[in-house]
Amino acid sequence: MSEANDRFCSPIDISELDILAAMKDIQGYIDISPGDFKEVFQVAYSHAVHRLMDARKAGDIMTRPVHCVELGMDLVQTATFLADKGITGAPVVDADGRIAGVVSEKDFLARMGIGTSHSFMQIIAHCLHNKGCMATVLRNHAIQEIMTTPAITAGPEITIGAISALFIDRQINRLPIVDTDGRPVGIVTRTDLVQSYCITR
Amino acid sequence: MISFEKMRGNGQSPPRVSLVEVFWSWVGSFVGIAAVALMQYKLVDQTGLLMLIGSFGASAVLIYGAIRSPLAQPRNLLGGHILSAFIGVTAFQWLGGQPWLAAAVAVSTSIALMHLTKTLHPPGGATALIAVIGGDSVHHLGYLYVVMPAASGAAVMLIVALIVNNIPKTRKYPEFWL
Repeated sequence: MSEANDRFCSPIDISELDILAAMKDIQGYIDISPGDFKEVFQVAYSHAVHRLMDARKAGDIMTRPVHCVELGMDLVQTATFLADKGITGAPVVDADGRIAGVVSEKDFLARMGIGTSHSFMQIIAHCLHNKGCMATVLRNHAIQEIMTTPAITAGPEITIGAISALFIDRQINRLPIVDTDGRPVGIVTRTDLVQSYCITR
Repeated sequence: MISFEKMRGNGQSPPRVSLVEVFWSWVGSFVGIAAVALMQYKLVDQTGLLMLIGSFGASAVLIYGAIRSPLAQPRNLLGGHILSAFIGVTAFQWLGGQPWLAAAVAVSTSIALMHLTKTLHPPGGATALIAVIGGDSVHHLGYLYVVMPAASGAAVMLIVALIVNNIPKTRKYPEFWL
């Protein structure tokens, strides 16, 4: 896990007053000072986070099968494919089924875009101001022109802690999981990752 | 380098226990010490061996007053007294000519061995020390001191603890045996 992630996952800051209140609730003399207990709690919490982060692997949480687009498709076909599947990005594979890159909304926006942030709202604003749509610039282009390469991928054994770190460090939203030949076997999205923490249930 | 900052003790002291807890601590230690004292007065000896009661008084604080403590568990109570008694007798037999040295070796070695065997029990230090400074009647016992009064006294205290500490709903003893 990265340091950045550790910072976000720091334990609940229980106070010594909380501990004193708990010690009063529990009958009997507890042979530990509140300060020592707090230290034990914080270290134990950090062990628990690491245990949970290491316990589950990409193979357990990934979405499969994974929808892939193929090299050679043009951007109209790609956009139609993504829209049909209800997804915002996909791995791009070559004729052998090996991963060649990843394409996502971000790549389309970057191609259409103006400015640096390439956000969807920026495109909307631009279209409204100019009484026209910028999507036409996407016609007659092939996917290899906009896809992100090389693809950031991992094997099924990567832990969810390591995936979280990748998402933050590389600023990506999905991680294709590939076999040893580089063929996608699944994909871990932000949604998969959030569900794997079981925090929402 | 001496750190005065560390000496300030910025932490808080634990809360006071309830009156029910105080009551059962009193009952347990009264019965436990009564049993051990009676046994030693009536059955054993009226002189040197009584010193060991001091050691059991310290045990009583733990096994009737702080029953959740790791230091108060059966493994520690029995292991601590038996091991320390053995070390104490050995220290006196080997180093008895220099009582100050025998006393220091007895206590320090007992603490080290209690740590190593996970049987740390503070009154064990007294049990080891008394084996050295307890006078002729203790010295004449030799290794019998380990069994009687050390182990037998600890066993009686333990039996009382198992009974008394499990009477109130709010208490449970022990936390663990081994």
